[in-house]
Amino acid sequence: MGKNRPIKFRILELLLDGKEYWNYEIVSKIQEEYGMKSNFHRDSINFDILELASGGMLKDVEQKVDEEGVYKKDFLLHRYTITDFGKVRASDACLRGL
Amino acid sequence: MDLKTFKKQESKRKISKGYMWALFCAVFWGIWYLPGTVVWVLNPFDGMYGSIAKTSGDGISLVITAVLITAFNALTVMFALMLWNGVLGKYRELGRTLREFHPCSKWFFLASIFGGPMAILGSFIAMGFIGGAFAAVAGLLYPVIGSILAYYWYGEKISRRAAMGIGIIIIGGITIFGGGLLTELSSGNVQWIGYLGGLMAAAGWGIEGAIAGKGLDISEPDVGLTLRFLGENIIWWIIIVPTLAIVGFPMYSFALQAFEPLTLLILVFAGITFGFCYVCWYKSFPLIGVGRGQGIGNLYGFCAIIFIFLFFGDIPDWTILIGGTFCIVGSFVMFTEDSSALETLRGE
Repeated sequence: MGKNRPIKFRILELLLDGKEYWNYEIVSKIQEEYGMKSNFHRDSINFDILELASGGMLKDVEQKVDEEGVYKKDFLLHRYTITDFGKVRASDACLRGL
Repeated sequence: MDLKTFKKQESKRKISKGYMWALFCAVFWGIWYLPGTVVWVLNPFDGMYGSIAKTSGDGISLVITAVLITAFNALTVMFALMLWNGVLGKYRELGRTLREFHPCSKWFFLASIFGGPMAILGSFIAMGFIGGAFAAVAGLLYPVIGSILAYYWYGEKISRRAAMGIGIIIIGGITIFGGGLLTELSSGNVQWIGYLGGLMAAAGWGIEGAIAGKGLDISEPDVGLTLRFLGENIIWWIIIVPTLAIVGFPMYSFALQAFEPLTLLILVFAGITFGFCYVCWYKSFPLIGVGRGQGIGNLYGFCAIIFIFLFFGDIPDWTILIGGTFCIVGSFVMFTEDSSALETLRGE
């Protein structure tokens, strides 16, 4: 089901459970679901998350340094949760017709 | 290194990239007025203008010619964006987003009505009637329309600072339009349609932004912008150009003549600069905030004047220079109010 929807819809949908997710968790899930394996796609999906956060739909709640290299070694990892505005956008846009 | 240093490093990286995108937007947008002005004197558009003017008069002829130019502009922007999406590997996402008509892509099609037949057509009309510098600077009024619309439509508050910025931009607008009008009134020959074109550009871009934003925040901008131009191409090539042809204007015969090297080159140049200015604009927003992105993007007004001076040697009227300065200062006052907006732009 998720495969047929635009990536940002799917990201919002994943976060709609209200839990907090690390960016690498979201990115790797999307990479797997959409078959986008390359590093270029990884960064592109991460930029989608950044855009959703800057649009006020996700909130950056925690950061830590990627010391083990789970995502990108020595870069910051971010943990996100969906905002109320994000829930509204997700339910009036993404979930209709699911 | 501790977490704080990493955070600083990351925000520095974001900010420098964001400013780079926004500056690219301003440069591309500014350059666009070069091909936009030049194309008027190229085959077949100069001949088209002359031949329609004989039967229908100067005013109608200029508008009809501007329609064909805008239609070709939309086509070449579409090619540039398709190439861009191909490089990014986003054709599938394009299909996925297109299919989400109700929640998402309908906004792009709606936005294209105001972006195309209003803003871009108006810009070309202003370039053809009055000149590139006027067209560029008149477009700077778009944030006024955009924020007034957002006020009535989304109930977005206009802060004192934003209101001040709007005031400064309006003073600039009065200077730009009033200055030109007064000179022309005294000479008794007013190019009303050109000024109307300038207003169409400002209003059209303001409305387009407010509408497209509703779909762009839940789609990828590269994809969303392409759909916005798909909409514009449908409007021109499936609706307006055929309609004008049926009414009796020689649209197709002149359209076919556009396929000659120099004209195509200039049109492709217009498409690339215009397409990428949009892409760069949207890339800057998540990095430095919509406000700063738009503020810096608006430097396109200066870029256009500089490029027009460098390439054509034209120095615009002082009213355009002063009015343009007001508009750019006003947009900075308006857009740079919230310094903490880097993380979250909209309230929660």
